[in-house]
Amino acid sequence: MSEHNGHERWSEELAAYLLGALDPAEAAAFEQHAEGCERCRAEARWLAPAMQALPESVERAEPAPELRQRLMAEVLADVAGVEEGDTEERRGWRQRLTGAWSRLGDGPLGLRPLAGVAALALVVAAVAGYLVGSDGAAEPSQQGGAQETIVAGEAPGVVAEMVSEGEGGSLHLSNVEQLPPGKVLEAWVQRDGEVAPAPPLFEPDDRGQATTTFADIDGVEAVMVTVEPAGGSEAPTSEPILTMAMPE
Amino acid sequence: MVRREKAERLADEELMPLIGAKDPEAFEVFYDRHGGAAYSLAYRIVGERPGAEDVVQEAFISIWRSGARFDRARGSVRGWTLSIVRNRAIDALRSRAGKAPKLTFDDEAILEQRPAEELTEEEAMRHETQGELRGAVGSLPHDQAKVIELAYFGGFSHSEIAAMLGVPLGTVKGRMRLGLEKIRGELAEGLA
Repeated sequence: MSEHNGHERWSEELAAYLLGALDPAEAAAFEQHAEGCERCRAEARWLAPAMQALPESVERAEPAPELRQRLMAEVLADVAGVEEGDTEERRGWRQRLTGAWSRLGDGPLGLRPLAGVAALALVVAAVAGYLVGSDGAAEPSQQGGAQETIVAGEAPGVVAEMVSEGEGGSLHLSNVEQLPPGKVLEAWVQRDGEVAPAPPLFEPDDRGQATTTFADIDGVEAVMVTVEPAGGSEAPTSEPILTMAMPE
Repeated sequence: MVRREKAERLADEELMPLIGAKDPEAFEVFYDRHGGAAYSLAYRIVGERPGAEDVVQEAFISIWRSGARFDRARGSVRGWTLSIVRNRAIDALRSRAGKAPKLTFDDEAILEQRPAEELTEEEAMRHETQGELRGAVGSLPHDQAKVIELAYFGGFSHSEIAAMLGVPLGTVKGRMRLGLEKIRGELAEGLA
């Protein structure tokens, strides 16, 4: 069907597609066409090495050694989190979080979790600005800054990062599914085992990214995000799409 | 966990399953191989070091946590990695400019874009020196280089580029196509 499916017209779009210069709807339409057009796929294969040359052709710049250190610290913290997943400290976190949510869970669960977004518990995974020692224990770094990642984590469906901003912080989520009409995201903070709403309410954008801010994160043990009816709730009415333990 | 010396002897495609199994030594070798190219690309796009470092860190952590998803049948590890870095850098660039990200910068989608048939030529291209690659790109006529530059390194859509340059959309598409074909032709000569 390749010769009679408008190949010539679509072929004009190929370079723009490869360069990422088509709008999402145009790109999707092109991909749909290319699935059934061997000529388009063959042309794409032929041009692929040219696309590969573009990133390789840039002037070389050397990253700072600290980037490697931060990256490996985050990786080792991940590994430590897995290997020491049942340490006393982590059990403590889990119990506190479970306790908090079991209390909250006494109310009606009026909303099921979003389809495909499983309830997610993020362990303390990434601590930029912290150095991980040989035993995997995190120690405060001497490289403090105005804004630092306090904790970040990733699990199927959602990626989260908490960044400090003065006494407060901002929570950045990505890969969040679009909300049903009339629903919003609401954040909650836990201090001394007590959970309180943390306005403002927020929503994911069309790329699934959502950000909310916290005026004060001092003493916060955990941050949670749930899907709530528009206007928010005084207590969570659904299972959290995110539960993030904050480092002490 | 593999020892670093052993990991260094493994091909990228052999490292990825180890990274998927959370082997930090394998990841360290992977970063040492591609971190420089990734940072160079990110720096080229975002234009400042802290931003480029953020992009690289995000991209590599994303790979660390999703390494098991890499499918070697769909392309090289390096191409996949640089695609992720490029897309995140453009994302950062557009966010900084207060613009909604235009593209679906889905790391998974990158895997879908690159059929296995590319492998042979791509592997051969990896042996091209950086100077030759830069020469292939640098040999483009200015008008073709400009549209490719704006699209690939600037993250602009073809319609945005047409408006910026004050030329018809069809002209932009044509220059993009001619530019890529010319780079491809230069590489073909180099491979011959």
